[in-house]
Amino acid sequence: MRALLSDEQRMLKEVAGQIAGTSGPVNPGDLATLDRSAAWRALAQAGLLALRARDEDGTPVGSGVEVAMVAEATGAGLVPVPYLGSAVMAMELLALAGAEEEAGELADGVARAGVLLDGNLEGLAHLPGDGPWYGWDIDGADHALALLDTVDGTRVVRVPLGTGFAGADGADLTRVLARRDAPIDPATLQTVGDPLTAEDLTRWEALALAAVCADTVGVMRSAVTKAVDYAKERVQYGVPIGSFQAVQHMCAEAYVSTEAAASATNYAAWAVDALDPEEALLAARTAKAHCAGVAREVTETVMQVFGGIGQTYEHIAHVHTRRALTNRQVLGDEGAQLLRIADVRLTGE
Amino acid sequence: MDYRDTPEEAAFRATLRGWLTENIPAGWDKVEDPEAAARLRRSWHRTLYQAGYVGMSWPVEYGGRGLSATYDAILNEEAGNLNAPPLPSVGYLGRAIFTYGSEEQKQQFLPSLLSGEVQWCQGFSEPEAGSDLASLRTTAKLDGDHYVVNGQKMWTSGGQYADWCMLLARTDPEVPKHKGISCFLVSMSEPGVTVRPIVIASGEAETCEVFWDEVRVPVAQRLGEPGEGWRIAMTTVAYERGPADIGFIATYRRTLAKVERMAAERGLLDRPETRKQLARAYVRGEVLRLNCVEQLAARVSGQQPGPEGSVAKLLWADAEQSLQHLAMDILGADELTGVESGWLSSYFTSRPVSVYGGSAQIQKNIIARMLGLPR
Ligand SMILES: Cc1cc2nc3c(=O)[nH]c(=O)nc-3n(C[C@H](O)[C@H](O)[C@H](O)COP(=O)(O)OP(=O)(O)OC[C@H]3O[C@@H](n4cnc5c(N)ncnc54)[C@H](O)[C@@H]3O)c2cc1C
Repeated sequence: MRALLSDEQRMLKEVAGQIAGTSGPVNPGDLATLDRSAAWRALAQAGLLALRARDEDGTPVGSGVEVAMVAEATGAGLVPVPYLGSAVMAMELLALAGAEEEAGELADGVARAGVLLDGNLEGLAHLPGDGPWYGWDIDGADHALALLDTVDGTRVVRVPLGTGFAGADGADLTRVLARRDAPIDPATLQTVGDPLTAEDLTRWEALALAAVCADTVGVMRSAVTKAVDYAKERVQYGVPIGSFQAVQHMCAEAYVSTEAAASATNYAAWAVDALDPEEALLAARTAKAHCAGVAREVTETVMQVFGGIGQTYEHIAHVHTRRALTNRQVLGDEGAQLLRIADVRLTGE
Repeated sequence: MDYRDTPEEAAFRATLRGWLTENIPAGWDKVEDPEAAARLRRSWHRTLYQAGYVGMSWPVEYGGRGLSATYDAILNEEAGNLNAPPLPSVGYLGRAIFTYGSEEQKQQFLPSLLSGEVQWCQGFSEPEAGSDLASLRTTAKLDGDHYVVNGQKMWTSGGQYADWCMLLARTDPEVPKHKGISCFLVSMSEPGVTVRPIVIASGEAETCEVFWDEVRVPVAQRLGEPGEGWRIAMTTVAYERGPADIGFIATYRRTLAKVERMAAERGLLDRPETRKQLARAYVRGEVLRLNCVEQLAARVSGQQPGPEGSVAKLLWADAEQSLQHLAMDILGADELTGVESGWLSSYFTSRPVSVYGGSAQIQKNIIARMLGLPR
C-alpha cells in the first residue's frame, strides 16, 4: 500500500494549482470582474478538462485521483468555473454512454454542459418525474444532462436550459444555478450515446461524489490557511491572536477535520477506477459523510477566527462558507450518506 | 423561591397579552425593504413606549415605571409567545447613562431614549481595537469648553439610523491604556461625522464604519469623569450580554415556532431525529431563559451584572447558532437555492452573535478568570 502521489500526478497537481490559484476571487467583489473564460481556456489547454475522456481501449485519460487533484485546486481557489458540472459530471456521463463526439467537445472546452439535479440537489435528475429541478454548475452551458428511463434502459438526455428555466439566487456565489418548475416533456429531449448500465451509474456516482468531496477539501484547506495566516498577523493585546490558545485550538480543530476529509477523499478518488463500483461508491459515501459533516463547522470556525471582519460581505470568508454549504448538500448531505452506508453495512443492500 | 407569577405579575401578564394581541402590527415580519423595516422598528418602539412597556424597570423621573426587572422578563416572554416584532434594546446604553450621567444628562437623554424618539448607537470598537478594546486610538483633545474628536470607529451598529452615539475616545495618551479613555454622548449630525454602512455576509447593512474628523463635542457631553470611559464601557457590555435586556429570548421563541411549523409543513414530524432536534432546540431555549431568570432575580435584588453575563452570552450564541443549523437541515436545498433566502440570511446573521459584545473566546477568558484559574 502506498497512499502517495506519483511524480506525474505531482506535476499535474502543480499545474492545476497554478491555474486555479490565479483564477479565483481574492475578494468577493472580484467575482463580478473575473475573466472566467480565461480560466476555462487555461484548464482546457492544460488538458485538465479532458481527464475523463476515454482513450482507444476505453480507459479514462486520468483516473479519479487526477480529477480530485484538479477539483481540490479549483475548490481551493474558489474558481467560478464549472469544472465539476461540465468536466467531471457531464463529461463522465457522456463517456460512459460512449458519446465520443460530445465528450470530445467538452474535453476541448469549446462546449460546456451542466447537470440537472433533483429539487433537493441530492441526485441526478431521473426523468420523467416531478420537478422542481435545478441546472447546477451551468456557467456557459446551454444544456444540462439528466437521465431518462426509456424502453431501452436508462439514457443520458440533454435538457435545454434556454426555456423554462429561471436563474436562481443560490447561496454559492461561484456557481451558476437555474430552476425549473414546469414539467419536462420527455418527447422533446435529445438522447445522447448508448443506454447506461446500473454499474455505469454506480461508477458515475462514485466519481461525482469524490469530486464534490475534493472540491470541498480545497474550499476548507484554503479557508483554514487564510485563517492561520491571519492569526499570525492580527494583533490584539500587543500580540498576534494566534498566540492565544483559544485561537490555536480553533485553527487546530479545523485543520484536523480538513485533513481527515482529505484522507477519506483521496481513497475515494483512487477507488473510483481501481475498485468494484459498489466498493468505490461506499468509499465515496464515506468521504462525503465526513466532508459534509465538517464543512459547515470548519468554514464557520474560519469566520470566527477572523472576528468581526470575517462576518462582512466584503470579506472572502463567507464565499468559502457558501460554497462549502452547497457542496455539503449536492448529491446528499451527511444524513443522506449515513443512511445509505447503514443500508450497506447493516442490511447488506 | 417561586417561579410562578405573583398576583400583580399575573394581572400584568394578562393585560399585556390582550394589548399585544391588538397592537402587533400585522404582516410586520414580511417587510423586506431595510428602510421600511427600520421605520417599523421605530414606530413599534413608540407604540410600546406609549403603552408603558419600555423601560418598565426604570425610575419614574426618567420615563420609567419603577417596576422590578421581572416585568421586562414577562414582556420578553409574551412578546415571543405572541410573535411580536423584536423589542427595542434601550437597556444597555441607557443603563450607562443612568449609572454615570449627571442629573442634567439623565433628564436630557433618558426619556427620549426610552420613548424611541432618539435612536442611539454604540461607538466603541475600532479596526485595530476589537477584543482589545482598551487599545482604541480615537482621540478627544480638550480645546476650551469643547473636546475635538478624531479617529475611526468600526462596527457601530445602527449608525446609519442613529441620532446619537455613545462614543469612547482617548483623552489622555500618557497614562496606562485603560485609564486614558473617556466616554462621550455625541450627536451623529455634528459636522465631521461620516457614516459608511458595512454589509455583513447575510447581505444586510447591519453595522457601520464611522469616521470622526475634527468633531467638536461640548465638555458637558462627557459621560462620567475623564478617564472613566473604560468602567462605563464595561458596565455597558455587561448589560449587553444579558439576553433578557435585549429581547433575545422572545426572538428565539418566535424563530423556534417557525422552525417547528416548517418541519410540520415538510412532513418531517414523524422522523425521530427531527423530533429530537426540535425538542433539543426547545431545551436550549429553556436553559437559556432559566439562566436569565436567575440573573434577573439577582439584579432585582440589587446586584450589578458581572461575569455571569458571560455565561448567558455563551448560552445565547450557542442556542441561536444551533437553531439556525437546525433550520438549515430542515430546509435542505431550499435554503441554498434562493427559495428560502431569508433563512440563509438569518443563518449569516447568527454567526456574529459569537463575535459582538465580546467574542465567545473572550467570554470564556472572563469565566476562566472568574473561576480563579492561574493566568
Ligand atoms: C455584526 C457586528 C455588530 C457589532 N456591533 C458593535 C457595536 O454596535 N458597537 C461596537 O462598539 N462594536 C460592535 N461590534 C464589534 C465587536 O464587539 C468586535 O467585532 C469584537 O469585539 C471582536 O473584535 P474584532 O472583530 O476586532 O476581532 P479580534 O479581536 O481581532 O478577534 C479575532 C479572533 O481572535 C480571538 N481573540 C482575540 N483576543 C483573544 C484572546 N485574548 N483570547 C482568545 N481569543 C482571542 C477572537 O475571539 C476572534 O476569534 C460588532 C461586531 C459585529 C461583527
